Amino acid sequence: MSAVGRVAALIPAVAARVPGAAARVPALASRVPGSTAVVDFVGGGREGPWRVLVVEGSMHPALEEGDWLLVDPTVRDWPRRGTIVVFREPGADLLSIKRVAAGPGDVVRTQDGPIRLDPTQAWLLGDDRAISRDSREYGPVRSDRLLARAWFRYGPAGRTGRLTAP
Amino acid sequence: MSRLTDWLAPTTVVHAHCDIPCGIYDPAGAQQAARTVARMVELIGQIDAGSTAVADRNKFIRCVTVKEEHAEIVKHEVQVIWSDYFKPEHLEANPDLHTKVWNLLKLAGKNKQNIDAEAAAQLEAAVKEFADIFWSTKK
Repeated sequence: MSAVGRVAALIPAVAARVPGAAARVPALASRVPGSTAVVDFVGGGREGPWRVLVVEGSMHPALEEGDWLLVDPTVRDWPRRGTIVVFREPGADLLSIKRVAAGPGDVVRTQDGPIRLDPTQAWLLGDDRAISRDSREYGPVRSDRLLARAWFRYGPAGRTGRLTAP
Repeated sequence: MSRLTDWLAPTTVVHAHCDIPCGIYDPAGAQQAARTVARMVELIGQIDAGSTAVADRNKFIRCVTVKEEHAEIVKHEVQVIWSDYFKPEHLEANPDLHTKVWNLLKLAGKNKQNIDAEAAAQLEAAVKEFADIFWSTKK
């Protein structure tokens, strides 16, 4: 990687202008030991993540590949409908980001008929329904797989702002 | 500087998981379709213009149909890459991209309307140029 690319990858404003720079962030980020130590303390000892990088496009147009988000990892229960959440995808060792389409107690209409979500379950969908792999594929998600609630986009520059329900 | 940005960069990758591999685009489909349009114009030119033989009429209609279809494929393939793949930073490096795509799509329309070897050659060249721009952004 060029020196310019390396610097660019670190700065959201520049990363947006240098093709591929954002994609290089994971490699870099993984080499940043201790960078969450302070916020871990603030978070009452709960391990992050606090800052995440979005890859893949199923949350288009709300989120785009390369977005830098602040997330709150102190949540224990499913937040209200419309909230964007980070969770461990069922049946996969993958951190996924989708939107809460329905929460505990709600009834969801599925291809196999209606199901009522139990107090631990949420129905998670990607905003770009046509390509998203989500609860329609792997069913309801239990709250023990919930990792964080996404609340703010801090990069790239020009796209910063609070994340809202659609 | 680097310590500050180290602190700012995300620590974790999260997937907005897609079922289909998104972000995989290739202008080869458009190029092949443009080649097909040119080839159909060539084949139509080889049919005896005065022939009323059923076989010739059949071949003529088939060639025209395939030409229509593939000009439409060119439009579709180019439009998808144009709208879904290209980002503002690509436009900065290729400020005339929109004009070029617009002209290319009009050229595809012209190839549907006419049987014109020159227009077909122009379409192939325009798609090649579009593909070159696409690949230049991958470097």
